[in-house]
Order: sequence, then structure tokens, then C-alpha cells
Amino acid sequence: MALAALAATALALGIWSLLSVDTARIGGTGLVEAVPPAFFVAIFLSLTGFVATLNLRRHTPVLLATQVLVLVVILHAADPIVHGLPRLTASYRHLGVADYIASSGQLDTSLDAYFNWPGFFSFLGLLSGATGVGDLMGIATWAPLGMNLLLLAPLLALARRLTSHPRQAWAGVWLFYLASWVGQDYLAPQAYAFLLLVTLVACLLSAFSGWAWPTGSNRFTRFLAHHVTKLDPTVPHQGMSSPPPVDTAILLVISAGLLVAMTASHQLTPFAAIPILTVFLLSGRLRMPSLPILAVVLSSGWLVFVASDFFDGHLTQLFGSFGDVEGHTLGVVTQRVGGSDAHVLVVYTRLAEVAMVWLLAALGAFMAHRRRTAWLTAALGALAPLTLIPGQPYGGELLLRLYLFSLPFAACLAVLTLLPDRPGGPGWRRAFALLVMGSVLASATVVSRYGNDSMEKFTPDEISLVNQLYATAPDGSVLIEVVHDTPWKFQKYADYDYRALLLAEPRPGAGPLSCDPADRIAQQSGAYLIVTTSQKRAADLLETTPPGDIDRFIATCGSSPGWSKLFENAGGVVFHIQGAGNGN
Amino acid sequence: MAIDRKHIAWVVAAVAVAAVPLSFFGPEGLRMLVIGLLMLAGPGTALVLYIRLGSAGTDGTDDADGAGAHRSAAQSTLPLAISIAVASSLALSTIVATAMVFARMWSPPVAVLVLSLITLLLLALGAKRFPVSAAGAS
Repeated sequence: MALAALAATALALGIWSLLSVDTARIGGTGLVEAVPPAFFVAIFLSLTGFVATLNLRRHTPVLLATQVLVLVVILHAADPIVHGLPRLTASYRHLGVADYIASSGQLDTSLDAYFNWPGFFSFLGLLSGATGVGDLMGIATWAPLGMNLLLLAPLLALARRLTSHPRQAWAGVWLFYLASWVGQDYLAPQAYAFLLLVTLVACLLSAFSGWAWPTGSNRFTRFLAHHVTKLDPTVPHQGMSSPPPVDTAILLVISAGLLVAMTASHQLTPFAAIPILTVFLLSGRLRMPSLPILAVVLSSGWLVFVASDFFDGHLTQLFGSFGDVEGHTLGVVTQRVGGSDAHVLVVYTRLAEVAMVWLLAALGAFMAHRRRTAWLTAALGALAPLTLIPGQPYGGELLLRLYLFSLPFAACLAVLTLLPDRPGGPGWRRAFALLVMGSVLASATVVSRYGNDSMEKFTPDEISLVNQLYATAPDGSVLIEVVHDTPWKFQKYADYDYRALLLAEPRPGAGPLSCDPADRIAQQSGAYLIVTTSQKRAADLLETTPPGDIDRFIATCGSSPGWSKLFENAGGVVFHIQGAGNGN
Repeated sequence: MAIDRKHIAWVVAAVAVAAVPLSFFGPEGLRMLVIGLLMLAGPGTALVLYIRLGSAGTDGTDDADGAGAHRSAAQSTLPLAISIAVASSLALSTIVATAMVFARMWSPPVAVLVLSLITLLLLALGAKRFPVSAAGAS
């Protein structure tokens, strides 16, 4: 009862403190600058509640679930509670793709990659079309909380198959939420596909655990079985009892269906499923060799045959840097360590958090091996996604995604450093150490997850400005954003020619922005140019332009011949640039 | 447990039946609630009610009061059952919607009808496979 009250107090305090955030104070290190101290008290109460519940003599899953849910709300629902709008420009683009499909029922694979993997967007389009709710902005706003809540059951089901005791599994799930800073939980195909992936792996490890072949049939199978048993003697006992044959067949169909939906929805996730399923096949945790083969066939077949428009036009991007491990790892990390001092601090916090999780996971695996308790499946699951590194950098985001794919497994290993392999609570000393570990990770995640908040959040004024632009610009117009950080495309996705003068990325030593690029784009038939407060913040935070250069750009170019200010509000300004042709 | 299954089955059936007319008309909020629930968990829940997930193999028993293997097994499979119910519903909705787009036969009400029929069919098969008289077996 006292622990339930503690959870309720933490929840109330957490929500209250998020509601009282002054968004104007969100600076270069993000939300951490603006939350009141009560927010950290709420987190600490939540962590204490979980650890104390875990340490009870009696295992209480309902109370543990409550404590985890409270943590999820406090740590992962800040975006909707504080801002009340979707985070990231990608959220708005995704709404636009779904809107295009809902209204036309068609795909335009020449527009961009989204239409080559339309599964998730078709799902959203179906939801919109069948309910008559044309504007899914509310769903996009609350998606981070919804996605994390939906993940709870699959994560727990998976953790139960990776650990020896239920309390270790709960702690693993708790640690996942504490260390999940990558923010890939917005309304996005990758979030959806990750949910399917975790469920798929949990289902396979539960229902199809075991060797796919007689372990004594040849030298290779004997070698595998011998070494797996030597490394982790618990492996043969980690599945559930086999379901009846009919149910086995149905579960196999379900698994195939999850793979199909995943493949239709996201480029990368099915490719991550391949090494994960393969290592489980080779370690006696998956007795269905057909599933890794199906994953290979589906993901490759989709890329080559269904996404052929994308495949044909992006061969260099897809395979041009194959094998460049250094470029895909150190090169990408070096690129990201840039921008303002505050932003660099956020990047270093992320790196430190990743290092901490991986070190704890390695230590947990080592200790579990010494104690002869379950660890090998989690270790293989954590390492398997890393085999994708030589492939391609995935737009510089590969390491982020791989961290996410590995995290459910790594978290289960990390808790083995502190949780014993016997029934019952861990004891107060271990519980205190767990609380310290959780506090460090939670504090880091407030910085790492919300560190880009100043440029990833948007305001109603900015949305209003975009709506005014849509109401003014005729279809077919060229719309220009100065920095690629505008909450637009949530409608009229294919009706305009969208352009960006600068990508939102560090540009060391960048010179002042001139009017020429915009004038050149507008030269033929005119254009509309939008500058928002988020664009300015992104430019300053990442040092895309010299400090204050966007304001100078507005003042200088805005008074140039052919430029006319159409409207302005607290969210930004829109100009029309006269073209030489019809003046449109 | 069997009573729970029966109640869950009735709720899922009600959602599946209500979703069909609501895909044509009705208040937006109600349509979002019912059709959203169907797409989120309808067919998958019916599927989970149809199958029997295996019991926990060598899960660590961690009940200090020794409440028995039955409750432990149920607790062990519940997260997996919920996961499969949600993920398979989402996947089926996605596959139906994507197939319609590729086939150039886009019709959200028809997609809802398909999902509802699949849900009801699975519920009927589940009721036939595990009749209520075998209550204790579940």
C-alpha cells in the first residue's frame, strides 16, 4: 500500500512538474534546463518505489508493472505533456504520407523512400480513413508514451526468456526504459517495426526454443552444442514447454506475419532481425531455420522487387560504402560531436550513457557466466545487430538504431551485475546499488533524450504559420525552408515542391548565408520562403550558420527586390520571392 | 480463468461487430475508440484465445507464498499473450491496408469489415475448440 502510494505521488509530482515547465527556458542542453527540481524528486521517488517493490519478500508483478508505468510516464511522456505537439519534423512528414495514402489510396514511389515501404503509413491511412479522423496530430503527439506503453508486455515477455528469474526480467525492462534515450518512439515506422521485432523475438524464444537439428549429427553441430552448453549450461532449459502442433503452426504463421508487416513498413528493422534470428538458430534457441531464411528472402526481395524505384536510384547510397567499418562508426560519431558547446555536452552524455550500458552488460555477462546462470542468449542478441555496421551508415543514424536494437538484451545483462540468481529480493545493499545505477541512468537520459529539445519541439505559432502558408500558396508552388527543421508536410505532401537551403547539421566554419540560393530556386516561377524559430534554434545549436545569421538573413534578404513579407507571428515569418516568369 | 476468457471474447466480438457500421458513420471519438481498438488488438486477441501458449518451462518460481505452478505459469505467459495479441492485430491491419494500396482497391470500410470477419471467425473457432464446459481446463 505504501509503495502504491509512493508510485501515485511520483506520478502526480512528475506530471505537475512537467506541466509547470517554462518552455522559454529550454536551451542548448534541452529540457533539463527548464524542469523544476520537483521533476528529479519525482524520478527518484519512482526509482525508489520500483527498487523497494523488487526487494519485497513476495514477488508482486502488478505493483512492479505499476512502478514501471509510472517511470515511463515521467521519463518518456515529457514531449506531449510539456509541448502538446509532436516532436521532430519527421513526425509531421509521416502524418503527411499517411494523409496522402488515406485520401488517394495510392502510392507515389517516385516521391521518396517512404512510399517504397508503405506498411506503417497504410496502417495510419486506414485508421484515418475508417474513423473519419483526418487529423492524426493528437496520435502523433502522444505516440512516444503510447509506443513505450505498448512495448512493456513484449519487453517483459522477452526478458523472461533471457533471464533466470522474474525479478531479473522486471529489472531488465526497467533498465531498458531508463537507458532508452534514442527517441525513436515517435509516430514512425521504426518505432512500430521495433515493437513487432521485440514481440517476434519473444515469441520465438518462448515457443520455438531448441536446436533445429540433432546435435550429434556431425562435427559442426557437435561443436556448436558443446560450446553453447559449456558457455551457458542453462540454454537448453530457457524456452517454454512446446505448444500443441496446431498452435505451433499458428504461432509460426503469426511470426511470418510479423516479419511481413515489419518488412513492408521499415527499411532497416527486418535486416536487424536477420542476424538476431541467425545467432539464435546457431545457439540452440530457435529450432525453425525457415524463419531466418524467410527474413532474408522478405527483406531482400522487398528491396529489389517492391522498392525497385528506390533500389535502382540509390545503389551508390546503399552499397557505395560497404565494408567501411571505420567510416560507419568513428566517422559518424566524429561528425556528431559538433555544434555549440551545449550540444557537444549532450552528445558526450549520450556517448557516456551508451558506454555505461555496454560496460554493465559486459560485466553482467561475465558474472553470469561465472555463476553459470542464463546470459548467452542475451549476449548474442545484444551483439547480433552490430553485424550490420559494415553495410552502410544509414544516413549517419545506424549506431543509434543498433543501440536501440541491442538495448532489450543489454539491459537484461546489465541487471545481472546486481540481482542474484535465487528467488526473493536482492537485499538492501544490492537494492541500494540498483537505485544508484538507476539514478545515474535516469539523470543522463533526461539530458540525452531531451537534449535537442530546443530544436525538436515546435509551437502552435509555427503550425499556424505553416497553415497560413498552405492557405496562400497555390498547389505546385516551390516552398523553401532556410534550415531543414520545419513542422510541415503533414498535409499537401505531394502538392508542393519542398526545398531546404541548409540541412540541420553542424557546419564548422560556415560562412554567412546569402540570398542567392533562395533567389536561384525562385528564379523561374517564384517561391515561398519560411523561417521559423525552430530553424533559428537548430542553426544556433548545431552551428549550421554563424550565430544570429538567420536574423541577419531575414533582415537583409527580406528587403531585397522581389522579396515581400506575407505574414509573420511569434513562430516565424513567410516571404514570397518573385520569379522572373509569371510572378507567382 | 475460463470466465475471463469468455468475457474477453464477448468484448472483442462486440468491438468487431460495432466497428463495421462505425466505419461508415458515427461520432469521430467513438469511431476512433472502437476501430482503433479493433486494429490494435481485435484479431490478435481472438487468435490468442484460440491457441494455448505453452506453460513456463524452467522459469524461476519466485512466489514466497508458494501459490502454485498454475498461477506462476499464467503470470509467465500473460505478457507474451498480450504481446502477440497486439502485434498480430497491428500486423494484420498493416498487411490488409498495404495489400489494398498495392491492389489499388483502397476502401477503409472494407478493410474494417475484413478485420471484423477474421476476428469473429477466430472467436467462433476458439469457442468451438475450448467450449465453456471445459472451464477448468484453461
